[in-house]
Amino acid sequence: MLKGADIVLKCLRAEGVELVFGYPGGAIMPLYDALEGSGVRHILTRHEQGAVFAAEGYARVTGEVGVAMATSGPGATNLVTGIADAKMDSVPLVCITGQVRSALIGTDAFQETDVFGVTLSLTKWSRLVRTIDEIPEAIAEGFYWARNGRPGPVVIDIPTDLLKAKKEFSGPMKFAPHARPADAKADGGFTDTIVGLLQQSAKPVALVGAGAKLSGAIPELRRLLDDLSVPTFATVHGLGAVPPQAPYYLGMVGMHGTRAANMALHETDLLMVFGARLDDRVTGDPSRFAPYAKIVHFEIDPAQLDRVRPCELSVVGNLADTIPAFQAELRRHSLPDFSEWRAVACGDERAELDPRGLAQPTIRFLDELFSRLPQESVVLADVGQHQMWAAQRYRSSSPRGFITSGGLGAMGFALPAAVGVQLAKPETCVLCVSGDGGFQMNIQELATVHRLGLPVKMVIIDNKYLGMVRQWQQLFYQRNYAETDLSDNPDFVEIAKAYKIHSFRLNEDAMREFPVSTETGDQIDRFLRSPEPELLVFDCAPEANVFPMVPAGAALSEMLLEEEPSQ
Amino acid sequence: MQSFHIRYRNTQGTLMRILNAASRRALDLPSVQAEPAEHDHQVTLALDVNQKQVGQLYREWYSIADVIQVNSGAPAIAWTAAHPPVGVAAEESRAAARA
Repeated sequence: MLKGADIVLKCLRAEGVELVFGYPGGAIMPLYDALEGSGVRHILTRHEQGAVFAAEGYARVTGEVGVAMATSGPGATNLVTGIADAKMDSVPLVCITGQVRSALIGTDAFQETDVFGVTLSLTKWSRLVRTIDEIPEAIAEGFYWARNGRPGPVVIDIPTDLLKAKKEFSGPMKFAPHARPADAKADGGFTDTIVGLLQQSAKPVALVGAGAKLSGAIPELRRLLDDLSVPTFATVHGLGAVPPQAPYYLGMVGMHGTRAANMALHETDLLMVFGARLDDRVTGDPSRFAPYAKIVHFEIDPAQLDRVRPCELSVVGNLADTIPAFQAELRRHSLPDFSEWRAVACGDERAELDPRGLAQPTIRFLDELFSRLPQESVVLADVGQHQMWAAQRYRSSSPRGFITSGGLGAMGFALPAAVGVQLAKPETCVLCVSGDGGFQMNIQELATVHRLGLPVKMVIIDNKYLGMVRQWQQLFYQRNYAETDLSDNPDFVEIAKAYKIHSFRLNEDAMREFPVSTETGDQIDRFLRSPEPELLVFDCAPEANVFPMVPAGAALSEMLLEEEPSQ
Repeated sequence: MQSFHIRYRNTQGTLMRILNAASRRALDLPSVQAEPAEHDHQVTLALDVNQKQVGQLYREWYSIADVIQVNSGAPAIAWTAAHPPVGVAAEESRAAARA
C-alpha cells in the first residue's frame, strides 16, 4: 500500500522528473512529507511565482517538462502568471497544486480556490483529481499534453486527503490519446505547391520562430535555409535557430527588430514562416503586414494559422517532418536566382542600427559583456528596454541560448528562470539581464541563488525608470512620465550584500572610451568567470531609448530610427 | 447567427474550454445545448460571428484536447483540415481578416 503522495512522486519519476520547484503549504504538506528518499529533488524558492518561472527556465533550456508545486489558495494563484507565460511561449510545464480536503471543496474553506477554474483558459489540459485511483492516469495524461503537439502548461490539482489516502499501486501509467478523425497533418502534396510559389517569386524571405527549436529540427532547418539562401530573420524566440553569421541572416524582426529584417518583410512577395505565431509584436499593423506577400505557414498548432490574415498555404505538422519533405522536393527543382534580391536585403546600407544608437553606453556595455561570454552561454533577459537591447545585441548560435518571456512579457521572469537554467546546466555560464523594475518583482530569489550557491551572473540595467513604459510616454504621451519614476530605488549593491552575494556597480562613464579600459574589461571578465553568484549594477542614462522601434499600430516599414518630437 | 456542433469527450473542463473560446472573444452565447451523442457528447452553439472569427473558433476548438470534431451551419459541414470550412470564400475571409 502506498500513500497518494508516494504515488505522485513515483509517477513523476516515471516521467523522468528529477527536479521540482515549489513552496510548501497546508494542503500540499503530505507531498512534501514524502519527498525524502523519493528520488525527486525539490528546490525551495521564496515565492510560488519564483517556483513556476524557475520550472519554466528549466524547461526552456532543456526542452524537458518543468514541474512546479504549490499549495492551495494563494499558493496556486501565485502560479497563474507563470502558467500564462508557459501558454504564450509554448513551454512544457506541469503544475501540481494541493487542494483542500475533498469534503470541503466548494465550501469556501480556508485557502480554497477553484484553481481548476482559474487556470482553465490558460492551460492546455487540467484535472481536479477526485479519487486516489485517478492519480497515475492524471499524471500520465498531464505530461503527455504538456510535451506533445504544441507544448504548454498543465495543472493537476490534488485534494490533500487523496495525498494521505493509501492504495495498492500497480505502477505508473502510459497515456495514449484517442485518435481523432480530423487530426490535420500535412501530406506530401504541399511540397509541389511551395516549390511552385518559390519559382514564381522574386523576393522570398524566411521567418523563423520558436517552433524551430521546439521541434528539434534545427539541423534540418539550417540545411534548408542554406539551400534556399533567401533573406531570413527570426522572432525573439527564434533567435539562435539561425547562425548569426549566415550571409542571408538579418537578425530579429518586429517592433524592435533590425531595419533590414523589417524592410525585407515589408517588401517580400513570398513569406515562409517556420513555427511562429505572428503576434502583433512581429506583424505591426496586421492590415499592412507583408502587404505584397503570399504566406506559407509551417505550424504544428492549427489554432495559430490564418490569425493575422489567410495564408496561401498552411503546412500543419512538426517541422521535423515537414522541413525534410520540403527540402527533398526543393532539391529536385531549380529555383530562380535570388542573389540580386539578397544583395539588396542584406546590403550594408540596411544592415545596422542607427549609428547613434550603437554609441549608447548601455549598448556598448552589453556588447562588451556578450563578447566576453564563454561559448555556449545562456543569456536570460527580463522584460523591458534591456530585453530588447539584449535581443538585438546577443548573437548566439545556440537555439536555446537566449531565454525571455516573449509572449506574455512578464516582468520578474528572468531571475527565477535563471535559477532553473543554472540547475539544468551547472557547467554553463548563465547571464541574467534585468531592469531595475523587473528585478524587484522577484528579488527574493536572491535567497534561492545564495542558498544553492548557483553561479548565476546577474546584471541590472538601472535607469531608475520603468524604461520601456517611460519610452512610450516620451514618444507618444508628450513626456508625461506618469508613475514610471523609480528614482528612489534601493541600493541594489547593498541588497545583494544582505543576501551574501558579491555585487558591484559600473557606470556609463566606463563605456565612454572605446575600446573600454583594461581595468573595466578585467572587471567584466572576472565577473563572468567567478564561480560564485554575482550581481553587476550598470547605471544607465535615464532617458536612453530602444531603436529601431515600430510604433504600435504602424506598419513595419514605418519604424522609428531615432527620437522624433513628441506628438 | 451561425450554429456550430462540437463533438467532444465529456472530460473535466472540456465543455468550459469550448465555451471559453467564444467568451474570450466577447461573443454572446444566446443558445447552448449540450447532450450525450452516441459514445461522446455534443454541444450546439449559436453565435453571431464574422468570417474571421469562424476560422479562429474552428481552430481553437479543435486544439482542445478532448474535442473530436467540429461542424458548422445547416446542413453541417465537417471540418477536417487546418483551414476554415469550404463555405468561407477566400476573398471574404481575406477581407474579414483585414477588418
